[in-house]
Amino acid sequence: MIAYLVNLATLIAIFGIAATSLNLLIGYAGIFSIAHAMFFGIGAYVAAQVALTVSPDFLVAALAAAVVAGALSLCLALPALRVRGEYFVAASLGLQMMASTIFAEAHSLTGGVGGLVGIPPARILGFDVASPDAFLVLALACLAVTLAVVRTLMRGSFGRSLMALRDSESAAEAFGKDVRALKTLVVVVGCFFVGIAGALFAFHMAFVNVESFTLEQSVVLMAMVIIGGAGTLTGPLVGVIALLSLPAALSFLPFIPATEIGTVQQFIYGALMTALMIFRPSGIVGLSRGAR
Amino acid sequence: MLLTQLAVAGIQTGMLYALTAAGFALIFGATRVFHVAHGATFILAGYAFLEAVQLGLHWSLASGVALLLAVAFGLFMDALVYRPIQKHEGSFFTVFVASFGAGIAMQALIQFFFGGGFATISVPLTRAAEVLPGLYIAPVFWVALAVVVVVFAAVSLFLERTHAGLGLRALSENPELLRAYGLSARRLSALAFVLGSALAVPGAILTTVTTGIQPADSAHVMLVSLAATVVGGIGSIRGAALAGLFLGLVENLVVSVVDTQWSQAASFVVLFAFILFRPNGLMGRAGAR
Amino acid sequence: MNTPVLLSARGISRSFGGNAAVQDVTLELHQGVVTALAGPNGAGKTTLFNLITGHLVPDRGAVELKGASILGLKPHRVALKGIARSFQDLRLFGSMSVYDNVLSAIEPTPWLWQPGGSSGAAARRLQVERALDATGLAELAGTRAIDLSYAETKFLSMARIIATGAPIWLLDEPASGLDPASRARFVKLVRDATAAGVTVCLIEHNLDIVTELADRIAFLDQGRKLAEGRPDQILGDAELIAIYFGERRE
Ligand SMILES: Nc1ncnc2c1ncn2[C@@H]1O[C@H](COP(=O)(O)OP(=O)(O)OP(=O)(O)O)[C@@H](O)[C@H]1O
Ligand SMILES: [Mg+2]
Repeated sequence: MIAYLVNLATLIAIFGIAATSLNLLIGYAGIFSIAHAMFFGIGAYVAAQVALTVSPDFLVAALAAAVVAGALSLCLALPALRVRGEYFVAASLGLQMMASTIFAEAHSLTGGVGGLVGIPPARILGFDVASPDAFLVLALACLAVTLAVVRTLMRGSFGRSLMALRDSESAAEAFGKDVRALKTLVVVVGCFFVGIAGALFAFHMAFVNVESFTLEQSVVLMAMVIIGGAGTLTGPLVGVIALLSLPAALSFLPFIPATEIGTVQQFIYGALMTALMIFRPSGIVGLSRGAR
Repeated sequence: MLLTQLAVAGIQTGMLYALTAAGFALIFGATRVFHVAHGATFILAGYAFLEAVQLGLHWSLASGVALLLAVAFGLFMDALVYRPIQKHEGSFFTVFVASFGAGIAMQALIQFFFGGGFATISVPLTRAAEVLPGLYIAPVFWVALAVVVVVFAAVSLFLERTHAGLGLRALSENPELLRAYGLSARRLSALAFVLGSALAVPGAILTTVTTGIQPADSAHVMLVSLAATVVGGIGSIRGAALAGLFLGLVENLVVSVVDTQWSQAASFVVLFAFILFRPNGLMGRAGAR
Repeated sequence: MNTPVLLSARGISRSFGGNAAVQDVTLELHQGVVTALAGPNGAGKTTLFNLITGHLVPDRGAVELKGASILGLKPHRVALKGIARSFQDLRLFGSMSVYDNVLSAIEPTPWLWQPGGSSGAAARRLQVERALDATGLAELAGTRAIDLSYAETKFLSMARIIATGAPIWLLDEPASGLDPASRARFVKLVRDATAAGVTVCLIEHNLDIVTELADRIAFLDQGRKLAEGRPDQILGDAELIAIYFGERRE
């Protein structure tokens, strides 16, 4: 039971980072990306490769993962600068689908469908952090750092600029804001952090394959942000806890066969997303928008 | 011959894509709702047909059942999901997320009752015959061709000749005109969902009897419709249909150059390229920004 | 006019499809002078602003600031050169507080933080507070922009511009729909600014405000500039007034 809870808490920390980083795009900048699992995956694969071939030090692997994910996020920044609305959603979907295929097919980099196995236990500066408890502390520390950085940035001028261009791009421009630079920057920062989440994920599972980085995962991440409350600091975390606890809660219900839990879970978060958009579009934590 | 064979397969896939995407484009054009739950309409129709046939209904009745359920789902989404949202806020993304969620829920529901695997029924139509040396074509190809031609002719006639059809086109181009025609926007939007959802049905039935259907097709159909709508030019039904055909061809023809695993990715390369370099699509009007 | 030309648009045109929204218009803004743009609905006034600020690109013509071309610059570059504008539909940052609306208007650096450290931040806070005091919004600093009353949103739109300290203001119907008391406060805001040397161009339908504030009037109709001159010249022209009030003579 304890082992189960530690595992759950670790996953909550990892997905908490991922959802918080996605919230930078969706909630603050109004960039509706459905390709976040792609960058989660890039982080995981890079960390796994670094751990397998260079060094099992978490700091090295996570830094490499974050930098590569941040750099490759320019593929997402490009359409974000050129198009918006439906077009950008479509572009990010296209990107996610291409990435899934590449993850499954680029055997030399990703191990193909079989994935990368035997990722060594994480170490930090020579210390072993592989035990579940130690790794949970590491994951929570990463989450805390992410939240602190995001909170500081979003309460500062960067956050204000993003919200300004989300609320009115033309007015933001009229006050000297370089919309292209800001959008590029937020995409890079968001993907940098999800790269770290990917690195934690790779060490935690000791195995990564394409299954974890598909369109479904992107949708789950989006659901976490939106159900919790986009554009708030704690919303994504609430969403992560809600969605990750769901399978556990469902397994206590005797009338659901164990094999169907995944399906029931999918139904619940799908229906929840729809219901929230109808009755409370700002999410569980979000402020009500008020009448215009 | 391989290339011709692939082209034939591509045209068959593409025709079904064209119909389904045209439905999505019609809904989007008339109501500005990015109805990504359209993929769920597709699998709903497919499974309804399958179930009805297995219950012993004649195929024509089974098609009727599929049509009825697809239309009902479209109307449900319009009346109980999109309209309430548009009443209080209606930002593009809110509607999109609601649609997405409903699509996922419907997919899960179908999976819960029918399982996640392929389901199909065998009909004599799918047995391929050699029409030229080395070129195999199943009779279902001709059926699909006939259905697509008839349906498109009917839809075009409807949109161009009838009062309501003109209203649908006006809805996307110039809502002011509606009042002049004395049509209600609410009724027309319901009509768009009826027509658009109905357009997913032939593709769903033909897919069920040829390759078989699975719940995960929901996402695939959604992606293809979306890609075709963007590539064709948002707002253009004809563009979406052409693009659907084009994407079906691309998916099948690339197999002659790369492994089959890459074939779906090819559509998305096309989609991505269009968004970056020609965001107005094949036939779209200006207005990507 | 005795003062030098600060900002000029020369022979600019722009059409949308077949609709020539602005045709061969020349407008010169002289330093410290209040120029009013008048004309009926659809005359092309807002479009002219958009062409100057880079929100739209002209089909033909030149736009110069102190003799140097700013044609083709992106709107944020134009803004950084000291041209502040308001929008007819305001375009406030709706989800942000009044305070943050104004603060964000003076944080143009597209980086994770603004340069200048804590003293820079303190200076900006002071600027925000001054702008809020001037517009009477100080008490509402924490209110979200979407929760403001109509008049308050109009003044918030002005506060963002005041805070920038820009030497040129382009105001698009800033006083429309205001009650007389608010209108008087608005007039005072503009007077104070011009006294401090700000150059103002003002789109305004209300002739009282125009006569009160404007040193010059440029009259637009159907994309063309029909006349320009002192208020008494323009407002004394029966033909222009007739066009203005829609009694077009053929
Ligand atoms: N982005 C655009 N696309 C198409 N047409 C436009 C666009 N912007 C303006 N127009 C057209 O240009 C003409 C001039 O519009 P503009 O908004 O400049 O008028 P205005 O003088 O500001 O009027 P008002 O007093 O109503 O604000 C109008 O016919 C308008 O429809
Ligand atoms: Mg105007």
